[in-house]
Formats: sequence, structure tokens, C-alpha cells
Amino acid sequence: MAKRGIEKQLNILDYALSSLWRRRTKNLSILLVFSAVIFLVASFLMVSKALSDRAGQLLVAAPEITVQRMSAGRQEAIPLAHGERLQGIFGIRRVVPRVWGYYFDEVTGANFTVLGVDPLQMPGGDGLATALARGRLPEEGEAGMVVVGQGVVETLALENRQLFSLFRPDLSLKTLTVSGEFAKETGIMTADLLLMHPAEARDLFLIAPGFATDLCISVANSREIETIARKIAELLPDCRVLTRPQIQKTYQVVFGWRSGFASICLLSAVAAFIILAWDKASGLAPEERREIAILKVLGWETADVLAVRFWEACLVSGLAFLLGMLSAFAHVLFFSAFLFRPILLGWSVLAPGLSLVPALALGDFLLLAAFTVLPYLAATVIPAWRSATVPADSALGG
Amino acid sequence: MMRPSALFALCLALLCLLAVLLLAQGQRLRHRENAALGRLLVATSALGLTDLALSTEARYTRHPAVSDPMAPFMDHPGAIEHFPSGVFWAPPPR
Repeated sequence: MAKRGIEKQLNILDYALSSLWRRRTKNLSILLVFSAVIFLVASFLMVSKALSDRAGQLLVAAPEITVQRMSAGRQEAIPLAHGERLQGIFGIRRVVPRVWGYYFDEVTGANFTVLGVDPLQMPGGDGLATALARGRLPEEGEAGMVVVGQGVVETLALENRQLFSLFRPDLSLKTLTVSGEFAKETGIMTADLLLMHPAEARDLFLIAPGFATDLCISVANSREIETIARKIAELLPDCRVLTRPQIQKTYQVVFGWRSGFASICLLSAVAAFIILAWDKASGLAPEERREIAILKVLGWETADVLAVRFWEACLVSGLAFLLGMLSAFAHVLFFSAFLFRPILLGWSVLAPGLSLVPALALGDFLLLAAFTVLPYLAATVIPAWRSATVPADSALGG
Repeated sequence: MMRPSALFALCLALLCLLAVLLLAQGQRLRHRENAALGRLLVATSALGLTDLALSTEARYTRHPAVSDPMAPFMDHPGAIEHFPSGVFWAPPPR
């Protein structure tokens, strides 16, 4: 009995495939558009998931608390005396001032991040040399020494030279010597970095000696981060206090559906489906209606006709889903999501060599299937059912 | 002659094989990335890094985690956000 049932379904599947092949131009077009829509949405989901996963892995090592001074709604240099005031808060292990900012290189059009910090004062700083591909870290008192990221090496063509100069705000030149390079594998965090001693960064940006850009605070017990952050905010009302959980949360949200590009992907997918569903739901073509009537005259039951249409819809939507997902996976894996890269990079001249491992949560996978395959099945089967329930003679014009 | 359903099953099997190969390549790359994770964590911790260097065109896309949500509109009164990569990022939560 079961064998007969399977044989019947196989015959219906054969018929459905032949039927799809008869109208191959139309069905191939639907398959292509359908796959393209799934490809676009799935690619975006995979890229954003890969980036937020990577951020989640890396930002567990972000500073526990960062303190920035705000003035007139903008970040301002923070007096080092603020850091000394914080030493009295119980639970704070260390307050490390950092001097950092952006340097726009007019020749190449690239933006560098200049970071002046003494790594030996930071947690895990004694192991920083392992993140270098070559060279060494600048030592205290060494003037003009800098460690550069791989993006800086490429942008400034530093492969065969060690000396380069940057302009101070008063347009005087500051000459720097490359003492080391960050490893290529660390590019996602260090590609645009110029690491130097805080005194060197102050000299480059002409920041007064008693000031820093922000304060990095490490605490003795990570469960007390929020409590200590609240105490800092009370003690320094002119400062913004950022905690590690807030930084991590940012990266779980910034690649979300609310971003403009995600909305464009989603809207194009929804628009394509509305058009497709409208076309399908507005009724079958006269030839399709005729075909159903002839099948019924030949003895097919309504259930068999529906089974054919169901198989057809399953084949088209299932194949489109598979093709869309596979091409999205390959797009992210082999081509580093090159379609999205121009949007992600914008006008950035300096870009890290980004390699992404596509990732998709089961929930996203099911959501995508629910938004694409199910509406197509409904939009195909419902008009077929309406048509199959009409008496055959009236459908044939009898 | 081969039945259409058998031909389709063959195509489906090829696609599944392709899927397995892609997943295996993805897994290989993931292992390679995880091997570099230690160096990245050291750099993040020792330098106090807060953001991924994905887009370097604007300070609020280079460092969204430590930028003010108003930063894109701070160039002048009535300024609009105009950097292309801004469309890729949702506003950070505050």
C-alpha cells in the first residue's frame, strides 16, 4: 500500500517536472529572480552574523570601563587629574590614560587611527609582542618610534622603508620610524593603527601634557563593572562612562535590521514577493486552467491536481532556496561579500583584508524559509485549488 | 531513458554535495581564524581596542562603540549623515 502511494507520488513528481519543463522559460525566470532575492537577504544575514560573531569573540577583551570627557555634546580631552580622582574608588585596579585620534593623510586620502598608550600598563600588555609580524614595540623614551598596522604599510608603501612623516596641526613635520608591524591576522582590529608612546601622540596632535583622550579602567572583579561605572559617573558628571557590556551590545545591534541597507534588501525581497504573489493569486493562465480541466476529464481528482501544483511549487521554491543559500555562502566565503564591500567600506581608502566565515543561526534560516518558501507555496496552491474545484466542462468552455 | 524525478534527484544530490564542500571549506577557514584569535585578543586587551577596523571613512563608523549617537550630525547645525557606510550600520543603542 505504502509502495503504491510512493509510486503514485513519484509519478505525480514526474508529471510536475515535465510540466515545469514545458514552461521552462517562465519557470527559469521565476527560479532566477527567486534565487536572487534569497541570495541578497541570506548574504546580508550571513555577513552581519559573521561580523557580530567576530565582534562578540574579540570584544570580551575590550576595556572594562572607558571614560570620556564631554563638552558641548562633543568629546574633549580629559585632564589626567580626573584619573587620579578615580583611584579612590574601591575595586578599580588600574587607570590608564590613552591619547588617540584620527590622522587624515591628504596624499592618499586615508584615515589612520593614531593610538598612544603604554601597553605595559594595560592588562595582557606584556604579551603584545606576539601580535607583531615583525619588529618590536617602542620602548619608553624612544622618540618617534611607531608600530603600524598592515593597512598603513600598504597605504603608505612602507614595505621597503622605515621612515615617514606626518603633519602636526601647525603643519610642522613629525618624523616617525617604523619599529614593528602588526600581524596580518590581527588586521580586523589593527589595520589602520599607528601605535606609539602617549608622549609621541601628544606631540603629534599638540595635546597639552596634562591631558589624555580617554581613560581605560580595569577593575578587580568584572561583576562590579556596572557599580563602579555608576560611581565614576557620580564622581565625574562631565564624563561619559562606557562599559564593556555596552560596547559588546553595540556590535550585536549595529548590523541589525534597522540599518538602511538591510531595509533595502528586505524591501526588495518583499516587493518581489508581492509582485509574484499578486501574479499567482490573480488566477491561472487560460492554458493552465485548460490543462487542469483536461486532467479532470481524464479522471484526475482535485487532490491529484493539487498535488501536482504543490510539487511544482515545492520544486521551484526549494531549488531557489537551495541555490540562493549556496550562492550567498560562496559569496561571503570566497569573495568576502564583494557586493556589500563598497557599501560597508564607503569612501574608506584604507580597508582591512577582511575574511569572513559565513554563519547563519537556525532562527534566521527558518525565518528566511518562512518569508520566501511558504508564501510562494500558498500563492501557487490556492489559485490551483480554486481552479481545480470548478467543473471541468465549464473550464473547457462547454 | 532516465525518469525526470531520477534526473532531478541527481541534480539535488550534486547540489547537496556542493553544500557539504562549501561547509567543509567554511569550517577550515573557521579553524584558521580561531588559531589567530589568541593574537587578536592580546592586541585588543593590551591596546584597549573597542571596535573592529571595518570602515575607516568616518570616526563614528570606525569607532561606533565609543562614538556619540549624535556624531554623524555634528558637522554643522542641520547637518545630515552623508558617509556611504552609514547605511550599513544601525544606530548604536544607548
